[in-house]
Amino acid sequence: MVKAIEVENFSYRYPDGTIALNGVTLDVEYGQRLALIGPNGAGKSTLLLAITGFVRGTGRVVIDGMEITNGNLKQVRSRIGCCLENPEDQLFMPTLFDDVAFGPLNMGLNSEQVRERVNLALTEVGLAGMAERAPHHLSAGQKRAAAIATVLSMSPKIITLDEPDGSLDPRNRDNLVKLLVGLSQTLVIATCNMDFAAAVSDKAAVIDGGRVVAAGPAKQIMSDLKLMTSHGLEVPRKFINGYSAA
Amino acid sequence: MHHAYIDKFAYQDSPIHRLDARVKFIITVVFTAVVISLPRTAVSILLCYAVGPFVVLVMGGIPLRFVLKHILYVSPFVLVLALTSPWYDRTAATVVFGPWIWHTTVGWMRCWSILGKFVVTMLALISLISTTRFANLLAGLQRLGVPRLLVIQMGFLYRYIFLLIDSAHHILRARAARSAGGVAFGRGVKFAAAMVGSLFIRSIDTAEHINAAMQARGFDGNWRTINRLEVRVVDYVFVAIAVSFILGLYLFVKPVLG
Repeated sequence: MVKAIEVENFSYRYPDGTIALNGVTLDVEYGQRLALIGPNGAGKSTLLLAITGFVRGTGRVVIDGMEITNGNLKQVRSRIGCCLENPEDQLFMPTLFDDVAFGPLNMGLNSEQVRERVNLALTEVGLAGMAERAPHHLSAGQKRAAAIATVLSMSPKIITLDEPDGSLDPRNRDNLVKLLVGLSQTLVIATCNMDFAAAVSDKAAVIDGGRVVAAGPAKQIMSDLKLMTSHGLEVPRKFINGYSAA
Repeated sequence: MHHAYIDKFAYQDSPIHRLDARVKFIITVVFTAVVISLPRTAVSILLCYAVGPFVVLVMGGIPLRFVLKHILYVSPFVLVLALTSPWYDRTAATVVFGPWIWHTTVGWMRCWSILGKFVVTMLALISLISTTRFANLLAGLQRLGVPRLLVIQMGFLYRYIFLLIDSAHHILRARAARSAGGVAFGRGVKFAAAMVGSLFIRSIDTAEHINAAMQARGFDGNWRTINRLEVRVVDYVFVAIAVSFILGLYLFVKPVLG
């Protein structure tokens, strides 16, 4: 059966020879929300780049049944959207409308379809009515939501997010959790924040030293104290016995 | 970090703000060209020309303090040019304005002319920038046939220049935090060079990320946008008033040199 993402024995070295990913094998079902967790420098961001075709190494990466090759990057990227770590890099147009419309226009949609997609995407992330705002006039939380809208407007089947909770205050983080949990797309979320990972994911993969050391249901993986601490991580409060969020 | 964005007031709503960006841009260019082409003896009538952009600023609700501050920001370059003029040309000249007569030199007249034209054209420019969203201005320029590459570059410059300034502020703050006893000149120069290098590397890094973000959204080298500009009846009315004003002054208000 075709899976949303299949990574088979993928390896990649940085130009200076450092091994970034070493024989990574991982799969994600349609509709799953996978948390890629691991310490700093583990290879999470590089794996996201490999999944979106920006990093090419040895091994296979199959997206929605299509193996990434040099010839099909455009088709692959119409199926998988990526949100970079810094929303400032994602929002490069003078207005939010232009930014969210950028992808649909490149897909060859007409003006009416583009406008419709922009409105839908902005409404979905809670930024309806802000289409004419300039990105530098948005708050950190709004920028993060806007970055997600730029991807949602392309209606991808899969979305990757690199540290989406970075520099967000608790309220904005909660809003982001609600937004992500409400999305129907397959999500791959790289994060160092275990509480955030536990709140948004139903599957987790621990990456360390460029290898996937464990993968499985989020609760099973993230409540394993020995596994988590041995890789410099912590058990999320949600999975600590006796802890109450109230 | 908060910046004094040049289009800080462009997001307000007023009859001037609602005018088409292309119309405002063309009128500003024509007005500026006419003011610059005025003879140096036309210092006094520059006051009449200043009425145009002043009315636009008032109708657009732009605070005078903001306007003066921005004129002052760029004035040093013009001040150097203007204040050196009296030394170059000391030919005697007489200026007559109504019942008043001044005896001066051509150099001083040139000095006042440069300053006057600078202030009036800056008023026009600030009234354009402060009542027009930068995005609309870029879209307008593109529709007016300005090369697309240039428009894209201006858009990126405007979008990222403030982030670069932020980065520079952060580096300077980090230096200040570690230089309690002051920094010797030589070390200061070294630091400045290192900072420029660091900003350069960061810029390249940012450019690579932006390129990745663009490619991820299907960018294939063709820049596609939707035209959301529209010329309405009120724009034609504005053009008629502005052209009448500029033409009227140009044809009927002449400088008097005694």
